[in-house]
Amino acid sequence: MPYHEFEVSKVIPERKQHAVIKGEGEDLTSCLPAGYLNTIPGSISERGCAYCGAKHVIGTPMKDVIHISHGPVGCTYDTWQTKRYISDNDNFQLKYTFATDVKEKHIVFGAEKLLKQNIIEAFKAFPETKRMTIYQTCATALIGDDINAIAEEVMEELPGTDIFVCNSPGFAGPSQSGGHHKINIAWINQKVGTLEPTITSDYVINYVGEYNIQGDQEVMTDYFKRMGIQVLSTFTGNGSYDDLRTMHRAHLNVLECARSAEYICDELRERYGIPRLDIDGFGFKALSDSLRKIGLFFGIEERAEAIIAEETARWLPELEWYKARLKGKKVCLWPGGSKLWHWAHAIQEEMGVKVVSVYTKFGHQGDMEKGVSRCGEGALAIDDPNELEGLEALDMLKPDVIFTGKRPGEMAKKVNVPYLNAHAYHNGPYKGFEGWVRFARDIYNAIYSPIHKLSLVDISKDEIPTDQGFLTRRMLSDRNLPAEITGSSELREYSGKYDSVSALREKTYPEFPRAEAGAVEVVAE
Amino acid sequence: MATPKIKNMAERKYEKVYTSNPVADADPETKERIAQLENYIMKHCLWQFNSRGWDRRKQNAGILGKTTQLLCDEPVDISTPLEKCYWVDAVCLDRAYRELFPWIKTMTKDDIKALMKLLHARMDWLTIDGSLNLELTVVNY
Repeated sequence: MPYHEFEVSKVIPERKQHAVIKGEGEDLTSCLPAGYLNTIPGSISERGCAYCGAKHVIGTPMKDVIHISHGPVGCTYDTWQTKRYISDNDNFQLKYTFATDVKEKHIVFGAEKLLKQNIIEAFKAFPETKRMTIYQTCATALIGDDINAIAEEVMEELPGTDIFVCNSPGFAGPSQSGGHHKINIAWINQKVGTLEPTITSDYVINYVGEYNIQGDQEVMTDYFKRMGIQVLSTFTGNGSYDDLRTMHRAHLNVLECARSAEYICDELRERYGIPRLDIDGFGFKALSDSLRKIGLFFGIEERAEAIIAEETARWLPELEWYKARLKGKKVCLWPGGSKLWHWAHAIQEEMGVKVVSVYTKFGHQGDMEKGVSRCGEGALAIDDPNELEGLEALDMLKPDVIFTGKRPGEMAKKVNVPYLNAHAYHNGPYKGFEGWVRFARDIYNAIYSPIHKLSLVDISKDEIPTDQGFLTRRMLSDRNLPAEITGSSELREYSGKYDSVSALREKTYPEFPRAEAGAVEVVAE
Repeated sequence: MATPKIKNMAERKYEKVYTSNPVADADPETKERIAQLENYIMKHCLWQFNSRGWDRRKQNAGILGKTTQLLCDEPVDISTPLEKCYWVDAVCLDRAYRELFPWIKTMTKDDIKALMKLLHARMDWLTIDGSLNLELTVVNY
């Protein structure tokens, strides 16, 4: 096994099994780091907890719901201003954060009364909102509060309300991924099948593992609607609580982030016979193949091809403009989980960069299998890294840019490595054809920002040249490019709007005539 | 609602099929061709990486089996939603293979079947039997 031992982690020998460098001829039977294990004591991990994974990643993107944390107010830290899963109902779920504000006295005397009081107060404060999710936290799990019993009481007292209880306290898994798992299973056990939907199309999908980061879900749903497909529910970005109760009636589960939501897809397949189709909204080829596959499944491939042709013609010249300028740039692809495999191959193929390292904070070995497969030889793969390992890797690999979360991202900036936010994006959405160009634009802006030249100058000791002007991005990026690229009349910079999402909410879509009720014809090759 | 009882527990507690790389003894040309076909799957597909070994076994068999039929211009069963789902991935793979690896169109049906059988074995080895992923044998989702 080509393990890589970090100098800084020699004092934690177990860490060695969590990093590998893919060598010549290595494959998954010889090169795979350990994963999804409890963080080793002494390693200052960048992970989140299981409560965070359940609530802040999966639960809260549901848009028409009062989301309450039953615990200390500090558990709601990752809410206001830190998440970017927007919604088309004025971001209700982002604007309002609820916690029962458990204190020491409640730990001693119990917090069930406090919980009930909070639930009723919240429903009264927002009388239009009849749906609620309650999240267990470490403190209230340890004192044994019976959240389900309180929820049942309130639902009886306030007819018309519906409450979902998620028992995923922070300690319920090695990382946030444990929380993803728990809320997936809890939702299908408690809520799926408790409501019947209105079916409006012959082609009905659940869009699963999609969190509408800066509008991703709305971009993808636009494509589906243009194909005449009914998106019965989205699990969970911009998703509606009641729509998600009807998931059992879809014809197909279209799965985006397998890391966080494969469990519910697999259970829907087992319990209701709904197939799982893994897709990928990032990258022109992967997205085209994804739309094509959904089209094939329903026998409407020509509708997918029309969208692919239109979008490719519109956006490819802009992607190519950036590709010419990003060629050979070294990237550390260090996201939380799924983006290490969503992006690893696509950015190399379609943007010309080289991925020199992948890491995952909460991914499992399955994610690393995908990531290691999609990287080239020499790539360093790290599971659950700590900050010192990250710094050592940056020093060793000398990347031109790093894609990661905001906390390790700030660390990278301090060693003069530009960073892009891989979780919440800089100027997303990044899904869709236009979104992929926005991502390329952000990478370009990060790598060629003049600030990185200026920030290297130490005014306390360096001589400041007075005979040089300010260098722009374009001057830096085009310096060594051939004239056919710099003077090309076909290639162009991103020309979309600052906000590429809001207009989608006003759009109208073609109506496709339906076949006879229940009849869905699939055309064979 | 309680979690339903698992019906296919025997399938979930599967035995290994391969104990070594099934392509190891193939001739150099076959090895090279398998490597090209495998590389395309690993770089562009996700279906081979379902999180449990028993699912991977079904995915590999379903999609590579149907891809073989498409490459050989044989009829494909799409009578159920689950079969249809395998078929859409197989269609994409069939098209990519024909486009990127023109040599496959020069082969006889028997040779295609033999090659795809070996590719299937190789994929089972890489993703299931030879895999270092310790979660493949967990019996629950």
